[in-house]
Amino acid sequence: MLKETLLLAKNIRTDGYDGSLEAYRRAGGYTALEKVMKSMTPDQVIEVVKASGLRGRGGAGFPTGMKWGFIPKDRKPTYMVCNADEAEPGTFKDHFLINNDPHLFLEGMILGSYAIGCNHGYIYIRGRSVRPAQRINEAIEYLYKAGLLGKNILGSGFSLDLTVHRGAGAYICGEETALLESLEGKRGQPRVKPPFPATHGYNACPTSVNNVETLACVPFIVKEGAEAFKKIGTPNNYGTRLVGISGHAAKPGIYEVAMGVSMKQIINDLGGGVRGGKKLKAVIPGGSSSNVLRPEEIDIPFDFDSVAKAGSMLGTAALMLFDEDTDIVELAYRTILFYNHESCGQCTPCREGTFWLRNLVRDFRENLGDSQKLERIGRVSQQMFGTSLCALNDAAAGPIKAFVTKYPEEFKKHFI
Amino acid sequence: MPGFSSAVMKEVEGIFQRYPRKEHALLPLIHLVLRENKGCVPEEWDQVLADMVGVSLNHVRGVITFYDMLQREPRGKHHIRVCTSIPCGLCGGDKVLERMEDALGIHAGQTTPDGMISLEEVQCIAACDKAPLIQVDDHFAQQVDPDRVEEVVAAMRRK
Ligand SMILES: Cc1cc2nc3c(=O)[nH]c(=O)nc-3n(C[C@H](O)[C@H](O)[C@H](O)COP(=O)(O)O)c2cc1C
Ligand code: SF4
Ligand code: FES
Repeated sequence: MLKETLLLAKNIRTDGYDGSLEAYRRAGGYTALEKVMKSMTPDQVIEVVKASGLRGRGGAGFPTGMKWGFIPKDRKPTYMVCNADEAEPGTFKDHFLINNDPHLFLEGMILGSYAIGCNHGYIYIRGRSVRPAQRINEAIEYLYKAGLLGKNILGSGFSLDLTVHRGAGAYICGEETALLESLEGKRGQPRVKPPFPATHGYNACPTSVNNVETLACVPFIVKEGAEAFKKIGTPNNYGTRLVGISGHAAKPGIYEVAMGVSMKQIINDLGGGVRGGKKLKAVIPGGSSSNVLRPEEIDIPFDFDSVAKAGSMLGTAALMLFDEDTDIVELAYRTILFYNHESCGQCTPCREGTFWLRNLVRDFRENLGDSQKLERIGRVSQQMFGTSLCALNDAAAGPIKAFVTKYPEEFKKHFI
Repeated sequence: MPGFSSAVMKEVEGIFQRYPRKEHALLPLIHLVLRENKGCVPEEWDQVLADMVGVSLNHVRGVITFYDMLQREPRGKHHIRVCTSIPCGLCGGDKVLERMEDALGIHAGQTTPDGMISLEEVQCIAACDKAPLIQVDDHFAQQVDPDRVEEVVAAMRRK
């Protein structure tokens, strides 16, 4: 029976824990910050994060220490921006942390800010999450009062302000350069890269954008050391993941597991398998942008590299289960409807491609499919790959192509 | 021209101090407009906002038309959001929306004629383990049974 490995959710799983500053400190919180303020240079913080092999939890899995190392040391100001947009369908892990233990990622953010020499950081959170934004703001208020934010933190000479910035309902603002545009009061449309945020980010200054869960790993790494972190997980995939199980699971929810444990076991032992004793038809392993897997493909280690090898993506570790009664065409339609709606429209292949795919899948949904249209879905999605400014385009094309390639029989049921 | 009260203007000053440039405060200011105007941005505000942060009217309109939450029509006293993304949509969210539209006699995107309840169809709101999910004002209602939607609406009407 697979059990949780508690690194980030340790406090949350403790009875009576309320996520307040007092409770967090009682559980050993902010001792990493104290240690750093007393005895570590910014470079030493970057080094330990590099040595831990921590990879970003926002979707792409980029090494965090390397990202911080890219920030030039001779340019001021620099910015740390926490990506709390979390709008990928199926994903709710960052909100799990924000709602239940906000100080964990905030401590990570303060440490990261110190590492890259940032004196004002921003937390970008989706507009509709009113209460979670309040939760962070309250936590920040307590930090100012306790002298853990503001001027001269713990007498170290390091000063930091944090500001919560609310979005206004646009999935694309989770993409880091769109997020920065939105933070600058503009339409949230991704930028042309290069230059990358590390040199030209917020207000054209060096900027590091990091996901909530990524930052939440940092206090442990700083406190316990890189080797302790590397004891969890598999080579190149260290640490844990907060897996969000949803869909037709018997026990939906967030479960924290060491990276590299069996995905099948996560589904059955933690998620309770499919509810109502039904058979499993499909699994989406890492949020709506990741390719669907058939039940015979899920006996793999759940880490970045293994899920990629299976032709999908660990992404946000949002595991969605779909039972035998699920109509894959309906699943495909909901997926493409989302991407078509959220495409920001500045790249033709993405804007038009998602539109055409939506219309084609809709035809099947209305039982107007035929073999030519099925082939056309494959062709249109193939032509979209790699032709646009940001990853939304491929995140739309990939899953749709996977649905038609892996479940042609489901689409054939909707022929005219 | 509309404007903020002096109490809100104090908040505005505080917001400006959080950003290196005034124009970056546009979204936070728009959120204040939403709060003060039943969840919408009336068109008369566009020029006011443009002047406050020092950008063109076009810039403000470009921003307002970009984001889903920024609507021109006032919301009802209570606002209901129904999630129909994946996974909610495949766990009965679509049926919940249908029943909700029937019970309220309006379509998603509309407000009941008495101004009490407005309905919005939304994409994933990051609580997918509770599918199908609806949000009533700032509260979540989880695992909503489509057959019980009428009761929920009746209870809200009584309030
Ligand atoms: C369309 C799109 C949406 C994204 N949404 C999010 C998001 O909601 N949260 C997030 O952390 N990263 C999101 N990302 C990834 C970010 O661009 C970026 O890689 C990430 O925030 C970096 O943080 P990390 O290195 O800690 O993972 C998104 C990317 C794309 C292309
Ligand atoms: S790929 Fe799509 S979402 Fe991304 S910038 Fe281009 S049009 Fe916008
Ligand atoms: S799909 Fe409905 S909350 Fe995520």
